[in-house]
Amino acid sequence: MGQREQATDGEVVRAVLAGDVEQYAVLVHRYRDRYARFAARMLGSLDAAEDAVQDAFVRAFDQLAQCREPAKFAGWLFLILRNRCFAEQRRRTREGRGLEATDEAIAGPDRPDGNVEQIEQAHALERALVDLTPEQREVFVLKHVEGLAYDEISGMTGATVASLKMRMHRAYDRLRELLKEHT
Amino acid sequence: MTKTYHPLVKRLLDGELSLSDLPLELRGEGAEALRLLGAVDRAPVALSAQFEARVMAEVRRRAGSPMRRFWRGLVEPRDIELRLRLRPGIVWGAALAAAAALALLLTRPSQAPDGARPVRLAARDSVYVRFVLYAPTARRVAVAGTFNQWDQNASPLARVGGGGVWAITLALPQGHHQYAFVVDGGQWVPDPAAPGVDDGFGRRNSMVAVTARGARIL
Repeated sequence: MGQREQATDGEVVRAVLAGDVEQYAVLVHRYRDRYARFAARMLGSLDAAEDAVQDAFVRAFDQLAQCREPAKFAGWLFLILRNRCFAEQRRRTREGRGLEATDEAIAGPDRPDGNVEQIEQAHALERALVDLTPEQREVFVLKHVEGLAYDEISGMTGATVASLKMRMHRAYDRLRELLKEHT
Repeated sequence: MTKTYHPLVKRLLDGELSLSDLPLELRGEGAEALRLLGAVDRAPVALSAQFEARVMAEVRRRAGSPMRRFWRGLVEPRDIELRLRLRPGIVWGAALAAAAALALLLTRPSQAPDGARPVRLAARDSVYVRFVLYAPTARRVAVAGTFNQWDQNASPLARVGGGGVWAITLALPQGHHQYAFVVDGGQWVPDPAAPGVDDGFGRRNSMVAVTARGARIL
């Protein structure tokens, strides 16, 4: 892609809006992996994550004209994906089937830095994560998987740092409880 | 029932304290909590090799859909020759409320009112729309919307007199346009005179419908 890949998000978004649809591939390439991990941890399944990220990109394309700040496309796309993940959980809850962590979404046996005990702990944590509320899971994933600070998460989600900390602290307690149940 | 973590242990998990900061009696609980975080899997997730191709196929399909072409035809500025319309001046009145207002006026595109600063030549049957905001403490005001790809620098408003009123007149093509004011380069302000629409992500955009007969806020 060369020069296209060096273009800023704002430049790419404006080019797409002006009719150069192929430029959208730059954004897909740029953000697919960053958001795939978030979606996989939120939904507990790689297949569900792939569907969610694909839907988010397509929905973002459909509504690109509403993206007020093209330079902040990444944050805007995140909000779309976040809503998609929350909607997926609500849908499954309505249908009487919660999220279920699947093995392919989490550390596999070929994880280079892992041993059997670590892998079992990772599986147990992943199963516990899907039992958190979506809001609790989101803050846990953004902080401890994506490595973001509370103020960064606040900027992305619009929630205050105080409310994020409250969610997180409840998540810690809930995870402790769930992990006791699982072991 | 499982005991909840001590507040200091939660601060340890938040990265605000280290294990050695905890009182001795909490270090065992702290170590247990850190093992929880040690199990977090931060490994990258690999999407299928066909992922980008699938997304782009869907994007191309939607880009070519009649609905999208129709929408683009409505909202995209087009660099074409203006067709003059012999209509008299203002059709939709300037309703400057105490807080703010959007004034819309229909006039001959070749006779822009004073202060009109069209972003570019608009499509035929374009309508001059006057955006007005009362913002006495603002240093800069711009209007951004679907008509200028939300470019905060494309359409700056000018002060009108010394009373805190800012205004700009833009030639907009017919169609529905979402917009918002940008005050001092960063504060997004929906038009208080327009009910607005949810942009789907928790924020409100204002909406104006422009037709050959005039324009109205939605």
